[in-house]
Amino acid sequence: MNGVADEALMKRVAGSGDERAISELYDRYSGLVYGAGMRYLGDRTLAEDLTQDVFAAVWRSAGSFDPSRASFATWIFRITRNRATDLIRRRRSRVRTVGNDFVPEVGETDPSEELSRSFDVAAALALLSPAHREVLTLAYFQGLSQREISREISTPLGTVKSRTTSALRALRENMTNQEKRRSGDERA
Amino acid sequence: MEHRRIRDLLGPYVLGALTPEEELEVGEHLEQCGQCRSEEVDIRQAHEYMSDLASVIEAPPPELKSRAVDRPRRSSRSLVPLAAAAVLLVLVGLAAAYSAGVFTPATATASLDPTQLAPGAGGELKLENSDPNARAVLKVWNLPRLKDGEYYELWCGKGGGRVSAGTFTVDKKGRGTLYMSVPAKAVGEYERVGITREKFPREPRLDSTRVVLSGELNET
Repeated sequence: MNGVADEALMKRVAGSGDERAISELYDRYSGLVYGAGMRYLGDRTLAEDLTQDVFAAVWRSAGSFDPSRASFATWIFRITRNRATDLIRRRRSRVRTVGNDFVPEVGETDPSEELSRSFDVAAALALLSPAHREVLTLAYFQGLSQREISREISTPLGTVKSRTTSALRALRENMTNQEKRRSGDERA
Repeated sequence: MEHRRIRDLLGPYVLGALTPEEELEVGEHLEQCGQCRSEEVDIRQAHEYMSDLASVIEAPPPELKSRAVDRPRRSSRSLVPLAAAAVLLVLVGLAAAYSAGVFTPATATASLDPTQLAPGAGGELKLENSDPNARAVLKVWNLPRLKDGEYYELWCGKGGGRVSAGTFTVDKKGRGTLYMSVPAKAVGEYERVGITREKFPREPRLDSTRVVLSGELNET
């Protein structure tokens, strides 16, 4: 299912309860949802709970997901942020002091803007060809050098370098297209 | 030809992954070529997007996937009143006990043994004090797979009474983990814990006989 748009996968989840489709969406977004949970909540157990809750919500709300209103990345980010906010509120209510002041906690600085863009980048990354996605994943998520990537995927070093350039160019284009679509939606 | 070769190196250039010679060559070309400078700005932007994404992403524990992608057994519409009822039961029970002063801070564990309704199943419950709340972690394994509309429910009991402590489902292998946060003083209150198999939309039966796991709660 590599290269299949998130929205097409959601259609399968909503239509036939396709477990492979939600598994693919999990592979694409779980690291980001979990990482967002760590940013918002600063606690691994709560981040796990958040991740589980978010994907349960994806199952439950798949039928109401409308790709003409928001991309899947935007939609799942909103679920993540709202659920994290609930967890923060719940935790704050438990640590309220006598003076009604909140105990400062991890997550006081709202990371939502940065996280929102990261969800968009993840969506743009998912739309790349497998070859493009592979070189970027190895370079950015596994920290491999160009030479190490060349060995890892048995591809000449020169090809890896030009492919990395093409992949970044394609990612930038996908991001630009997303921004155009969003500004068009806002005008509509 | 030279222009095209340099253009292909812009990705590793913004990554800082070129040899010193290549980097010098690209830098000199950029000073002279407006088209490549413009291209470099776009590619650097993409590089920053990827760097930001990489800084946010964290790999969740591998075992989380089976729980997270397992289809919920009940719709959210049916879950809400049930969950609310379960929470209310817990709150009422805990508030009454709290006001009676029967709680004592402690840490407790329970090993859960199967009944004949769930041969081969097992579980453990651990209550840990952590001011101002206690943390309860329930792990179960080899529980029978649930049918549509069914769920498991955790109960805490003392004497002849019991209160619901939450509902949950299990994955295809009958495994499940439930995390709860309860008032720390609740830890010493209950003597027994049990898990029943329930079916929505019936309300949980307080006299349910479909107990699948049960055990004694021991303070440690």
